[in-house]
Amino acid sequence: MAAAGPSVFLLMVNGQVESAQFPEYDDLYCKYCFVYGQDWAPTAGLEEGISQITSKSQDARRALVWNFPIDVTFKSTNPYGWPQIVLSVYGPDVFGNDVVRGYGAVHVPLSPGRHKKTIPMFVPESTSKLQKFTSWLMGRRPEYTDPKVVAQGEGREGKGSPPWAVGLE
Amino acid sequence: MKSKEEKVKIITEEYIDDGEDAEEERQKKPSKVPRQKRKKQLPAASREEMVSENSPVDDQQEPVQEGSDTRLLGMMSRRGPRSLPPIPSASRTGFAEFSMRERMREKLQAARSKAESALLQEIPTPRPRRLRSPAEKESETECGMELDREVQRIQQEHDSQGHSRVKFHDSVRKIKSKPLVPPGFPSAEEAYNFFTFNFDPEPEESEEKPKAKNRHGANQEEKEGEEEEPPVQEGVSKTDEEEWLDGRDAEDLLLGLDHAVEDFVAIRPADYESVHVRLQREKELLFVPSRRTVPTYKKLPENVQPRYLEDEGLYIGARPEVPRTNQNIMENRLLTQEPGRRWFGDDGRILALPNPIKPVPSRPPMFTQAQDIKPELETLYKKAVKYIHRSQHLIGSGDSPGNFQLDIDISGLIFTHHPCFSREHVLAAKLAQLYDQYLARRQRNKAKFLTDKLHALRNAVQMGLNPAKTPKTLETTSKTINEYKSEIRQTRKLRDAEQEKDRTLLKTIIKVWKEMKSLREFQRFTNTPLKLVLRKEKVDQKADEEAYEAEIQAEINELLEEHTEEYEQKMEVYRVTLQRWKAWKKAQRAKKKKKKQEVEEHPTDEEREEPGPGEEPEKPAPPEPVDRAVIEQQVRERAAQSRRRPGEPTLVPELSLAGSVTPNDQCPRVEVLRREDIKRRSLFLKVTFNNKEVSRTESRPLGADFRVHFGQIFNLQIFNWPESLTLQVYETVGHSGTTLLAEVFLPIPETTVVSGRAPIEEVEFSSNQHVTLDHEGVGSGVPFSFEADGGNQLILMTSGKVSNSVAWAIGENGIPLIPPLSQQNIGFRSALKRADAISSIGTSGLTDMKKLAKWAAESKLDPNDPSNGPLMQLISVATSGESYIPDFFRLEQLQQEFNFVSDEELNRSKRFRLLLLRSQEVPEFRHYKQIPLYDREIMEKVFQDYEKRLRDRNVIETKDHIDSHRATVAKYLQQVRESVINRFLIAKHHFLLSDLVVEEEVPNISILGLSLFKLAEQKRPLRPRRKGRKKVTAQNLSDGDIKLLVNIIRAYDIPVRKPTASKFHQTSRSSRTFTEKHAASPTTHSPAHSADYPLGQALVRPFVEVSFQRTICHTTTAEGPNPSWNEELELPFRAPNGDYSTTSLQSVKDDVFINIFDEVLYDVLEDDRERGSGIHTRIERHWLGCVRIPFSTIYFQARIDGTFKIDIPPVLLGYSKERSVMMDRGFDSIRSLSEGSYITLFITLEPQLVPGESVREKFDSQEDEKLLQATEKFRAECALKFPNRQCLTTVVDVSGKTVFVTRYLKPLNPPQELLNAYPNNPQATAELVARYVSLIPFLPDTVSFAGVCDLWSSSDQFLDLLAGDEEEHAVLLCNYFLSMGKKAWLVTGNAIPEGPTAYVLTQEQSHYLIWNPCNGHFYGQFDTFCPLKSVSCLIGPDNIWFNIQQYDSPLRINFDVTKPKLWKSFFSRSLPYPGLSSVQPEELIYQRTDQVAAAELQDRIEKILKEKIMDWRPRHLTRWNRYCTSMLRHFLPLLERNQEDVEDDHRAELLKQLGDYRFSGFPLHMPYSEVKPLIEAVYSTGVHNIDAPNVEFALAVYVHPYPKNVLSVWIYVASLIRNR
Repeated sequence: MAAAGPSVFLLMVNGQVESAQFPEYDDLYCKYCFVYGQDWAPTAGLEEGISQITSKSQDARRALVWNFPIDVTFKSTNPYGWPQIVLSVYGPDVFGNDVVRGYGAVHVPLSPGRHKKTIPMFVPESTSKLQKFTSWLMGRRPEYTDPKVVAQGEGREGKGSPPWAVGLE
Repeated sequence: MKSKEEKVKIITEEYIDDGEDAEEERQKKPSKVPRQKRKKQLPAASREEMVSENSPVDDQQEPVQEGSDTRLLGMMSRRGPRSLPPIPSASRTGFAEFSMRERMREKLQAARSKAESALLQEIPTPRPRRLRSPAEKESETECGMELDREVQRIQQEHDSQGHSRVKFHDSVRKIKSKPLVPPGFPSAEEAYNFFTFNFDPEPEESEEKPKAKNRHGANQEEKEGEEEEPPVQEGVSKTDEEEWLDGRDAEDLLLGLDHAVEDFVAIRPADYESVHVRLQREKELLFVPSRRTVPTYKKLPENVQPRYLEDEGLYIGARPEVPRTNQNIMENRLLTQEPGRRWFGDDGRILALPNPIKPVPSRPPMFTQAQDIKPELETLYKKAVKYIHRSQHLIGSGDSPGNFQLDIDISGLIFTHHPCFSREHVLAAKLAQLYDQYLARRQRNKAKFLTDKLHALRNAVQMGLNPAKTPKTLETTSKTINEYKSEIRQTRKLRDAEQEKDRTLLKTIIKVWKEMKSLREFQRFTNTPLKLVLRKEKVDQKADEEAYEAEIQAEINELLEEHTEEYEQKMEVYRVTLQRWKAWKKAQRAKKKKKKQEVEEHPTDEEREEPGPGEEPEKPAPPEPVDRAVIEQQVRERAAQSRRRPGEPTLVPELSLAGSVTPNDQCPRVEVLRREDIKRRSLFLKVTFNNKEVSRTESRPLGADFRVHFGQIFNLQIFNWPESLTLQVYETVGHSGTTLLAEVFLPIPETTVVSGRAPIEEVEFSSNQHVTLDHEGVGSGVPFSFEADGGNQLILMTSGKVSNSVAWAIGENGIPLIPPLSQQNIGFRSALKRADAISSIGTSGLTDMKKLAKWAAESKLDPNDPSNGPLMQLISVATSGESYIPDFFRLEQLQQEFNFVSDEELNRSKRFRLLLLRSQEVPEFRHYKQIPLYDREIMEKVFQDYEKRLRDRNVIETKDHIDSHRATVAKYLQQVRESVINRFLIAKHHFLLSDLVVEEEVPNISILGLSLFKLAEQKRPLRPRRKGRKKVTAQNLSDGDIKLLVNIIRAYDIPVRKPTASKFHQTSRSSRTFTEKHAASPTTHSPAHSADYPLGQALVRPFVEVSFQRTICHTTTAEGPNPSWNEELELPFRAPNGDYSTTSLQSVKDDVFINIFDEVLYDVLEDDRERGSGIHTRIERHWLGCVRIPFSTIYFQARIDGTFKIDIPPVLLGYSKERSVMMDRGFDSIRSLSEGSYITLFITLEPQLVPGESVREKFDSQEDEKLLQATEKFRAECALKFPNRQCLTTVVDVSGKTVFVTRYLKPLNPPQELLNAYPNNPQATAELVARYVSLIPFLPDTVSFAGVCDLWSSSDQFLDLLAGDEEEHAVLLCNYFLSMGKKAWLVTGNAIPEGPTAYVLTQEQSHYLIWNPCNGHFYGQFDTFCPLKSVSCLIGPDNIWFNIQQYDSPLRINFDVTKPKLWKSFFSRSLPYPGLSSVQPEELIYQRTDQVAAAELQDRIEKILKEKIMDWRPRHLTRWNRYCTSMLRHFLPLLERNQEDVEDDHRAELLKQLGDYRFSGFPLHMPYSEVKPLIEAVYSTGVHNIDAPNVEFALAVYVHPYPKNVLSVWIYVASLIRNR
């Protein structure tokens, strides 16, 4: 038993980043990555991914549809540190600079089956009005050093801007 | 039959079915045998016909015809009758029943007859159908056509039936619109309707019944056929349906004809059933429950009155709501059923459970936007209602703190009965009680008071009677007099009663005393000191008698008066009644006279009779006149009874305790036992407040007089409103334990009662315990008697009195600590807010249970009402006594329930332990990944290291460290480190915004200007400059991501091979080699040599090898002593354990070794003759020197760029530093100032890592707050002017406290032996001291306190630890210099490669010297190769100077700190130096290092290194030249002693000794810390890499001990190749 290594359980995640609702922005793409605890290890699939750029649909929903597949398998010995998917959405601003449009995280569903999650998205706010203006001007909005911080509790005193939403399935 | 079954077509099948039906019908009527006989041929014929080809033709034709419109018309016409009201069938039902029975019977025969008919079918029969032409068919009307089909069927059954007849019949039907259908059988329309329409139930019912019966009765085949029909009909086209109908028609016809005589049709009127009849019948069958209310008596058994439980007070739940009418219907329905009554309850209503619907939905509300939420399911928001707690708390709405105080003074306890009472005691207690009563009475002296009152009243009456004196009117006077009189009467009565009581009490006292006396006599000992003395008070006989007589007389008079009055009143009444009686008499004329006479004759007789009101027939009797004598008699009697006789002395009892108690030895044994028992008993009281014990008295022994004195005052600081205050009396018998005797409820004092004013009150208590004792004690609750015969039994219970007083305390300022009155009543809303959970739980849970129970009993709560449920349960629990009210609180009450395993089990779990340790970030487990899922998968060895560490925390292990002192130090360091790390563990998890969010700085003008300037910049400048790279946080890195880039640019002054080499080689002429020609120095080289080597300048062919983490890269070989490589080397970096976190990277201890080698080529050609044909050379490399740069420096500096001095061994055999003629031009002046070789390097990491920042915590400090503020200010000012210059004012010491930096500087004595070494040469002494300091191993703080901060240890700590970084070295060196009388400062600034560091500056006579404390080198101020590149601060023992000069390079600044324009001093006139005490010790004490230990260490190091070299050469034999080794060992102490100018002697010696060998080797010198760095150093020289076959090695180690265990280690490594 010992030679075979510790027994693990597997968690297979299949799904897709379906669409997003960003009423103000267009031509966005998203990145996803997973944050998981120490006892977790990915065994198959892609832990990170970056989607194509999508434009708003022309119908009334005005949804940004990516349908970007996610397929990853984890193994673990401990439910503690259950994986979270972290999404960050980027898109060009008025000047064409790529800026971050939203961060969000959600736990991978705990029960098997099909789940549809809607993640509220947020971005860090500039510390001052002047900063806001200059960052807007220069296209260097405040960003997280690592998008994974949104899935962690430490040091989350920052504020968020109005939430948009990304649909994930 | 078989032939029929073969038919596939559905339509034909139907025919068959119909045929079957028909056949069936036929056989049902055995009475019509003749006709059936006829029929028999026809079915056969028809069947034959179907078998023939004709039937398919038919089939084909039929759909065509039926699809036609004409047919639809026909349908319409035939629907006419259908739309008529349904056919009533009064007779039909009857007939149906009849026919049913018939059919049943027939069906039994059907099977038999079928068999016969099957035989008959074989017989061919004429087929009339065949004769019909298709034209004929076409000509037919739809009726005809229909008939045609009908005929088919008819023919099947009635062969005799002609076409015409059928036609006729049909027409008849048409006309009549109602066929003569025999009742009980469905007509075509009915059948159609049956399957299509929704008819009234009645006909359907009547029709269905027989049908169903029919079906059941029929055999299986038939059944199947029938059942098949409906779906088939629906599935197939309409035509089929029609056909089927037709079949039915035919049937009907047939049956209709059955009734009639052959060949004609009887016409009958339609059967009509009147509505009444029908209703009548329906009534028989149907039951319609009435909606009227059922009278109750019907629902109950006979002679039972309804019982309403609700009225009786029992709880009856709310019944589910059912409309009254529905309820009535149900009741009626139930009543008609047989056992209906059991459905009814006692109250005559249907039994029903309470409404199960909760008023509040338990499902959480769903927040869907859907509009269709039913209003009853919708959850309404109601504002939260604050739970108004029952007034438990005292903390009111105000802010007054709830410290109120109740003082309870318990003075003592007296038993009025106790089990240990002897009989005498019982009597004594009784006596005492009586006496107390007596005293109380006497004190009040009610009799006297009443007597006085009487007198007063009498006087008043007397006064009132005298009209002269009273101005009032007569009426009022008489009224008042009357009132007085009545009062006199009452007072007199009271007085008499009181006097009588007094007398009886006195009598009882005397009686008890007598009893006691007799008992004492009887038992012949005395138990109680009680003694009653009756004192006689003599009275004046005469006066007394007079008073007595006067009193009696007065009383008599009064009574007489009273009686007279009464008499008169009575007389009045008598008269009135008499009058009435007379009138009545007159009315009764017959008796009138007679009666009158009688009345006059016996007036007195009648007077005695009481005149009853309204007793008209009786004659009234006149009242009796008052007799004075009688009254007097009465008065005297009474007086004699209740009053003291005149002249009799007044008896005053006096109870005293003067009597003596018989001593024990004179008592019988039982009494002694009793007395001993008493002695064993002791008592104490518990004070319970709101049922919680708050305090208890001391335990006091029970006295022989059954009194206990406590005299204790308890001050209760109360918080809750007092609900109850109880004293619990506990008795302890010997050691057997305590029993609760009784509870004494104390009243809560009024708010006006404050301590000091409260009277001592006696509160009685009693216990119901039963005690029987085996001694003289009478026991308690058991009968006993005073009499010998056991008569007149008494049962006494333990009882007693507690004397106490309860009052509110008075505060310090005289304000009574009484809760405000308002708090007692209002709800304490805010109290809930403020009161903690404990108090609220406690008080709500522990209300006065007894009161509650009492209240519940009084208010007659319905125990069945669920709303009272919890209360009742509480009461039952509380009163049953099974569970007790805990007198403690429990937090997390449900913890026990939630524990899924016991704590021990949890602790035993290895997995849990592992998780716990990991979460605590214990170093061994901090990055433990994948903790196994099961306990069994966790190996025990996982914990071994950890447990070992814990175990060995205090055990010194010398295995790794060789030297015991250093092991101790390492241990200590580890401990310090642990404690510091633990302290900063939390701080590590603290993040700033900048850690998480990347935000661009707001560009200021300069940046904007710069960026604008950049626009004008050339796009591609010729000299590209390095651009800053983006930093990478070390989070998502893995092995191979990080590379160490080493750019080796050039070197200066590499040692060159010495010309002596040629001399050396002359001795070995035979092996004159190719390279030796090159090795010849330029000064000695011959033209022949230069021919061999074209340039003739290759004095040395150096190349650089960089080794890091055992990865080695080297440059190409350059030539000459000043080579230029300009090569970039790339080395991979591996973090320990693959952990790239900041903390882990900070603690990387690896060094980068940059070694410079000389590549030497040896001709290995054996034979000169072969020289022409091939070249055989061997490359050897000779180590020239190295530069060692710790990784941590690179990590923190991000890049290292500069020229470094190469660490060249003092003795480098065969090499010397020669000045090249060619190089003399440019750098001569500079080089003259410095000695040694230099290398220019650029080292960086790719990608650039963000170094971890030191902890931003503000540490506590013992410094003066003003000083700290000043430092802050100073730093801020400095940072404003020169942001790049580091200003050091406060540092953190080892214990994590902020300390002002000048406290570290203080003159400290260097070891005396160092001072003694060069007594006349201060410069040499200074160098020696610097060397001593540099011998203390360097250990960066970031390594020892990974990720924590820069800690400064004091010099003694530093010397004890023998490890420290630049600051500690610099501080120590500076202190030594200070003690040596030099002017010395600590210099902070940037140096290469260290980065921000500390150096020491000394002022010599004319110049300044800069000392590098880590290697002991010193530089002049204007030395270009001085590693210190910038100076920001100078720190002296009493001040700090910040460099405010334009430049910070030591070359360009003035070190004169007295100039305030150049140096900003911390302490100035505005802030004078306060005289800060030093953190350093008074003096340093140095122990001499143990020489033996050093020698031992030396041997061990040598052994280890030899083993290592052998290990590194796994494929070669490693031979040790012992002779050479011993010689080298001899050299090393010389090297230590004088490091200069030994080379030549050394070389000469070596040449002499080892003439046959080609020798290459060098000594290494290092401070000693551990073995590992030594091994690394040896490894980096690459001595072991020589793989010549005949190589021999020599290795010698010398450890020179310095005081305080500072060890200087010399390692001499050499390789020898024997020359042949």
